[in-house]
Amino acid sequence: MSVPLSQMWTVGRYVVTQKLRGKKRYPLVLMLEPLFRCNLACAGCGKIQYPAHILRRHLTVEQCLHAVDECGAPLVSIPGGEPLMYPQIGELVQALVARKKYVYLCTNAILLKEKLEANLFTPSKYLSFSVHMDGLREEHDEAVCREGVYDDAVEGIREALRRGFRVTTNTTLFDGADAARVRQFFDAMMDLGVEGMMVSPGYSYAKAPDQEHFLRRRRAHDLFTAMLTDAKKRWRFNQSPLFLQFLMGKKDFECTPWGNPTYNVFGWQRPCYLLQEGYAQTFQELIDDTRWERYGRRSGNDKCRDCMVHCGYEATAVDHTFGSWRGLRDTVLSTVTGKL
Amino acid sequence: MSTEETSLEGWQPQMGEDASLAEVVERAFDYRGDVTVVRADGSELVGYLFNRDADAAEPFVQMFDHAGGGPHRIRYGDIRTIRFTGKDTAAGNSYAAWLRRRAATKAAESGSGA
Repeated sequence: MSVPLSQMWTVGRYVVTQKLRGKKRYPLVLMLEPLFRCNLACAGCGKIQYPAHILRRHLTVEQCLHAVDECGAPLVSIPGGEPLMYPQIGELVQALVARKKYVYLCTNAILLKEKLEANLFTPSKYLSFSVHMDGLREEHDEAVCREGVYDDAVEGIREALRRGFRVTTNTTLFDGADAARVRQFFDAMMDLGVEGMMVSPGYSYAKAPDQEHFLRRRRAHDLFTAMLTDAKKRWRFNQSPLFLQFLMGKKDFECTPWGNPTYNVFGWQRPCYLLQEGYAQTFQELIDDTRWERYGRRSGNDKCRDCMVHCGYEATAVDHTFGSWRGLRDTVLSTVTGKL
Repeated sequence: MSTEETSLEGWQPQMGEDASLAEVVERAFDYRGDVTVVRADGSELVGYLFNRDADAAEPFVQMFDHAGGGPHRIRYGDIRTIRFTGKDTAAGNSYAAWLRRRAATKAAESGSGA
């Protein structure tokens, strides 16, 4: 695992504090979407199918910071849309770093080199560029429906690393993914020098154009087992090893949708990053008034049945780590030995 | 769900005959295009309906209008009908189309010896 110690300490202290306070539902990662606009139109993405006047909208920095303060999560992920298209992205990141929030700026990296050359960002332990990479060149360009994006992303990653930034990758795997090719991809990212990798199966967005290529649970277990059994020691993952074990079918977790609350131009999204079943005006309203019992595998909700996405289960894994001696032991063991 | 299922684009439901107001609101909420909300007084608002709360003491919808204003809040009780007037941005299967274009491009490249 490649999560820096200071970040692990911050998260561990935060989770333990929530537990000592008796909070059953607490946020771990705020998914802050300042805009939906993107410079790609990936087949698996359900985030950008909106009328033009909605795609032109974006949150103000003040709205973003208010949401961050309201929520209180120690980690802030900035997806979108493409956040590097957000006009105030430099100002926003600077303000988040000043608040000592660990920021994952999720980008396809097409604009990364350009923004770095414009000195929009300053390296910090609090800032990581989380670059969307869905595999090696052929798989990635196919997933994002445009050729040449893989090469652009690699160029952006190299530039960010050269300038001393933290860089991680974020990979969504679809049905038909080849475990051997993914292993080669892990090697390629390690050769590139990224700090760590995040992987997750895709989610079948009702609005995404491609509904046939998302992983079902059993096939996901098979794929992740084939990918991660005998994981190479040089592979570093920027996520909980317990979550990876969950993907392999070795752990059985339930979804904690409140762990990654989402805020965007519509408000606080119910119930999670993936489902859009309404919007709350405040974070407290989201937590208090959402019918959480309707979501997660055990609820019987069809939309949740096959979901194994990290925005629902990584928070569960982290809660397990810091909520039980067994969870802590398993995490430490896996971290030390590198075995999943 | 297939994305090639029938789109609601152009639908002008007869309230109470085709569906109840609550059902039409749900479909409008799920629709990824602009709609036209016709108020009880006959005035119209064109825009994106992004939220609704049928369980509120006074059920309401929220919209951003297509000129960039909003959010506007309209009570269910003030809605006469909703027309699905905007383009359905989620309709179609761009992934399949992209695969076809890509295959065609590659075939053309190999055919030309490129």
